[in-house]
Amino acid sequence: MSLLRNPMIRKELRQRLRERRGWVLPTLYILLLSSVILFAYSEESGRQSMPNGVQGAEIGVAIFLGLIFTQAIVLLLMAPVFSAGGITIEKEQRTFAALLTTLLTPGDIWWGKFVSSLLYLLLLLSCSLPLLALSFAFGGVEPKEVLEATGYTILSLGAVCSLGLLCSALFRRSVHSTAAAYAVVLILTVVTAILFFYLQERWHSEARDWAGMPDPIHVQGPLLLNPIYPLLTLTGGAEFPYALSSCLLFAAMLLLAAASTMRLLKRSGEQV
Amino acid sequence: MIELRDLHKSYKRARGLAGFSMHVEKGEVVGLVGPNGAGKTTLIKILATLLRADGGTARLGEWEVTENPEKVRAMVGYLPDVAGIYQDLRIGEFLDFFADAFHLDAAGRSAAVERALESAGLLDRKNEYVEHLSLGWKQRLQLAKTLIHEPKILLLDEPASGLDPLARMAFRDHLKKLRAGGITILVSSHILADLEEVCTRIVFISEGKNVAEPELSGNVSDEFAPTVRCVIEFERSSSAAEIAKAAPGVRLVESTPERLLVAVDGGEKNASLFLQALLNGGVVVSHFDAKGGDLEERYARTFRGVSGKASP
Repeated sequence: MSLLRNPMIRKELRQRLRERRGWVLPTLYILLLSSVILFAYSEESGRQSMPNGVQGAEIGVAIFLGLIFTQAIVLLLMAPVFSAGGITIEKEQRTFAALLTTLLTPGDIWWGKFVSSLLYLLLLLSCSLPLLALSFAFGGVEPKEVLEATGYTILSLGAVCSLGLLCSALFRRSVHSTAAAYAVVLILTVVTAILFFYLQERWHSEARDWAGMPDPIHVQGPLLLNPIYPLLTLTGGAEFPYALSSCLLFAAMLLLAAASTMRLLKRSGEQV
Repeated sequence: MIELRDLHKSYKRARGLAGFSMHVEKGEVVGLVGPNGAGKTTLIKILATLLRADGGTARLGEWEVTENPEKVRAMVGYLPDVAGIYQDLRIGEFLDFFADAFHLDAAGRSAAVERALESAGLLDRKNEYVEHLSLGWKQRLQLAKTLIHEPKILLLDEPASGLDPLARMAFRDHLKKLRAGGITILVSSHILADLEEVCTRIVFISEGKNVAEPELSGNVSDEFAPTVRCVIEFERSSSAAEIAKAAPGVRLVESTPERLLVAVDGGEKNASLFLQALLNGGVVVSHFDAKGGDLEERYARTFRGVSGKASP
C-alpha cells in the first residue's frame, strides 16, 4: 500500500474535518497570530520615538521571531490533543478489534494516524505562512529563514505526534494518554530548559574564560531535546550552534516512538 | 474448514481455554454455547487472530492461525460482541473504508459496497450518517461490513445481544440466507432459540473445554437427549395410566381417566414410542402434545450435570 493511498488517512481526515474544531481552531489560531503581529509591530514602531530609532528591518525580524515562537509553542501544545487520542479513541469506541482484523498492518495504522494528526497541524502551520511573509515587507528576514523555521517546527511536531501516538498505544483511555503526552511535552520544553540553565550556571561558575563563547555541548545537551532549540539557532546562531544535532535527535525520537508504537499495535489484540 | 486441537489460553487471573478441540466442516453453522467465562470469546478471538493461543493448533482452511495471520484475516469475517462503529462517517463511507482496508481495488470496492448496501437493505440510505441508524440497522451494517471482503468463515460473538425482537428476527433470517449461501459460521450466543433455528450443530463449552455436542434433531441416542413432557388426551380409558407406568423411561406426573401428563426421558423418539404403545393398547388418543425437546433444557442438564456452574 502506497504511503498516501492509505484508507486510514482518508477516514481520519474525514472525521477530523467534520468536528467543529476543524474550523474553529484555525480561526482562533489566525486571530492569535494576527494579534502577535500587531503587538510586535506596535512595540517596535513605538521604539521609533527613541533616540536611535529603529529600522524597518527590525520590525520585520520582530514580527518573524514573534510568529515562529508563538506558532511553535501553540502547535506543540495542540499536538498531543491530535495525536494522543489517535489509538485510544479506537479502543474507547470499540472499533479497534475491527481495525486489527482487517488487512491493515500495524505500520498502515500508525502511518494513517500519524499523517492525519500531523496534517491538521500542518494545515494550521500553512495558515500562518502568509502572515510570516509579512515580515518580508519590512525586510531583515530571508525566505531561507522562514523555510528553516517551518522545517524545524514540522520536525519537532512530527516527533511530538509520534510520542503522542506511542502514549495512545500504551494506554486504554484518551484522558490518560493525553495527560502522558502533555507530560512528555512538559519534559521536553520546560524540564530541559531548567536543566540547561542549571548546567550553564555551574559551568559559568567553574570556567574562567567563557565570556563570548557558546556553551559547550555537555551544557547545551539537555536543550538539544527542546523543540524550541532549533528556532533559537536562527536567532542566536553563534550562541546555539547545534541545530543539526538537535534535528537528528528529534528524527531519532520520531522513529523510535514509531517503531515502539507499531510493536505495541502488533500485540494489542489483548486490549480489545 | 476449522480444525482446533487441544487449544490452551491462560490470562493472568483466569483460564480461557483448557484443551479445546473441535472440527467444523465447510458450510456448517456451529453454535458455541456455554456459561459466561466458559471461553467462547477467547476461542473466537484466537480464530480472529486477535489473541495468540498458549498451546495447541488452530487451522482455518489451509492456514495455521498464528503462523499466517494475514491469510487468515483475508478469509475470516469477525463481528465482536460489542462492536463499535464510526458514528461520524456516512454509511457508504463506512463500508468503503473497510473494503479499502481489505485491499479491494477501486472497482472491486465500489461493487462490494453496493453489494453490502443491498444485502443490508441500506441502498437508499448510503449517504446518511451511521449515527442516525437504530441499533438493529447498525447491527445489519456491521454484518454487511464483516462480509464486505466475502470471507469464507464468519465468526460472530454474541451478534444478537441488545437487539429488539424484530431486529433479532431479521438478523436470524439474514444468517439463514448466509447459511444457504454455503458460508461456514461459528456463532456464540446465549439466545438458544435463535441458535436452534440457525445452526446445523451446537457445541457446549465449559471451563475452556468442548464438553458436549448435542444433536439438534430428534436423535435420542445422545446422552444429553432431553426429557419430553407429554400431554395426552383420549377417550375415557382405564388402561392408559397402566401402560404409562409400564413403559420404560416414562414417569406419570398427572393422571385422570381422560388425560395424562407424563415425562418421557430420552427425547422425542421415546415419546413417539410411548404414543405407539398407547395406540397398541387400544387407547383412542384425541390429542398428543410433546414439549421440552429444546436446546434450553439440554443446556440446563449439561451445565448442571457436567460443570455444575451454569448460570441460574
